[in-house]
Amino acid sequence: MTASVPDAIASAIRTVLRDTGRSAREVESSMLLAADLGLDSLDLAQTIVLLERSLGVDPFRAPGGSRPAIRTVGDLISVYTEAVASTATKS
Amino acid sequence: MTTLDLSRVHAEASAPHRLALTVRELARRSPDETAIVAAAGGHDRRRIDYASLAAMVDRFEEAVTAARPVGVVVRARNVESLVAIAAACGATGVPVALLADDARDLAGELREWAVVDDSFAIPSSGQSRPSGYEGPPHVVVATSGTSGPPKLVQRTWDAVLAAARLAEQWHGLGWLLVYDATRWAGIQVWAQSLLTGGRLVVPALRDPDTVARAIVDEQAAILPATPTLLRRLLTSADRSLLSQAKLGRITLGGEAADGPLLEQAKAAFPGARISHVYATTELGEVFRVTDGRPGFPAAWLGREMPGGIRLSTRRDGELLVQLSRDSTDVATGDLVELRGDRYEFSGRRSDVIVVGGAKVPPRRVEDLLRSVSGITEARVYGQPSAITGELVAAEIVLVDPLPAGATPESIRAAALAACRESLEPHGVPRILDIVSRIKTTSAGKTSRRPVATTTP
Repeated sequence: MTASVPDAIASAIRTVLRDTGRSAREVESSMLLAADLGLDSLDLAQTIVLLERSLGVDPFRAPGGSRPAIRTVGDLISVYTEAVASTATKS
Repeated sequence: MTTLDLSRVHAEASAPHRLALTVRELARRSPDETAIVAAAGGHDRRRIDYASLAAMVDRFEEAVTAARPVGVVVRARNVESLVAIAAACGATGVPVALLADDARDLAGELREWAVVDDSFAIPSSGQSRPSGYEGPPHVVVATSGTSGPPKLVQRTWDAVLAAARLAEQWHGLGWLLVYDATRWAGIQVWAQSLLTGGRLVVPALRDPDTVARAIVDEQAAILPATPTLLRRLLTSADRSLLSQAKLGRITLGGEAADGPLLEQAKAAFPGARISHVYATTELGEVFRVTDGRPGFPAAWLGREMPGGIRLSTRRDGELLVQLSRDSTDVATGDLVELRGDRYEFSGRRSDVIVVGGAKVPPRRVEDLLRSVSGITEARVYGQPSAITGELVAAEIVLVDPLPAGATPESIRAAALAACRESLEPHGVPRILDIVSRIKTTSAGKTSRRPVATTTP
């Protein structure tokens, strides 16, 4: 897996927007997922599946962990950066 | 073709003995007639006549009589070995387990049974039956595992052979075996063929061209198949080859057949009668629809059908079957929807994808995807999600060559647009992958399981 976390997240969000008939746009870490990008819970669920494919982790299904609050693209980047690092340490 | 009157053998032999006795009778009267064509359509085609098959049955009967195993787990690769072992086990009263590759893990439950391969050797380590043991001879098979993991079920030989059609019009025909020979549906086909002096044609591979070659080269007359296997044959096999097929009958089962598939089959095989059998591993054959339309007539519900069977539905649309007046309803797990004067199957209850509490029957989405220009096959399944429980996910196979001006990406976009137009938002596939082949179970049905997630 060579994709960087921010790139993988931006790419996943653009795929979600394109697949749902919306125009893809630049994704910045300060953007609010719902208010700025218009992502609903189905969109977020799709993003997470796409990220599991590209990054190999799903921090939202991690056993025992409480679900972190995700409001911005930056929140997603932090959660995935931590999850990827934690997987790398384990392996 | 044999025109033997086998009815005497069928009437006199008890179910466990019936296969072995029929094969021996056929070997006596027409030893050179073909019983099985194995690896048909391939380079290693083998023809087994009834005399050779009967000799195999005799050989295994001797072995099993000497060793007296508690039971036999068949692990033969060759279909003729499997058939001979099963027939000999029936005749000697030894239970036999026929397990497909994906059910091999379940063999642990039968650890005292002897595992037998094509060599017919019975390992000496297996336990012997105590003398005087009179347990009923039976057959153990695994359920297909379409939705969940396969499980072992035990059937009497009476149940195994109950659906066989023994009237003379069924004698001496060429039966194509595209099912796994260890599955309930596959056992029905080879048992039917052998009981009626037929020619069992087993293709070398299940790929559409090999199956089509087997049908043409071996002059198969009857094709029992799942809709998924038939669809693959119709959309992917060499057209010029298919046009030479002389199929007289296509019997669909295992899954619901949709209208477009039935129309395509009628166009490709104009001489074939197409019927659709509704059966489950648990109930056996329940009914047969022969009018070439999907589903079954709505008038059948609540009315006593031939054989004393009654159909009804639960409030959520699940089909219930009452086998006789005195028995209770059996929940089939299959969902039906009233469309005009028909009840049509909308999928398995356990296949329904639940997205944030909303239910999505996968077949509806599959039918829609297949209606998009450029798509030949589709599979819809539930992708687990921590946010919504599940998401609708799909795989599609594109036609080859692609329609003029189309690209894989444009077809994928058109498929998503068609789904957005016709389905509620939660029913639109969120994962849509283009694949070269749809994943099927060893029973030849479309798999409903998610794609295995790979972790780096």
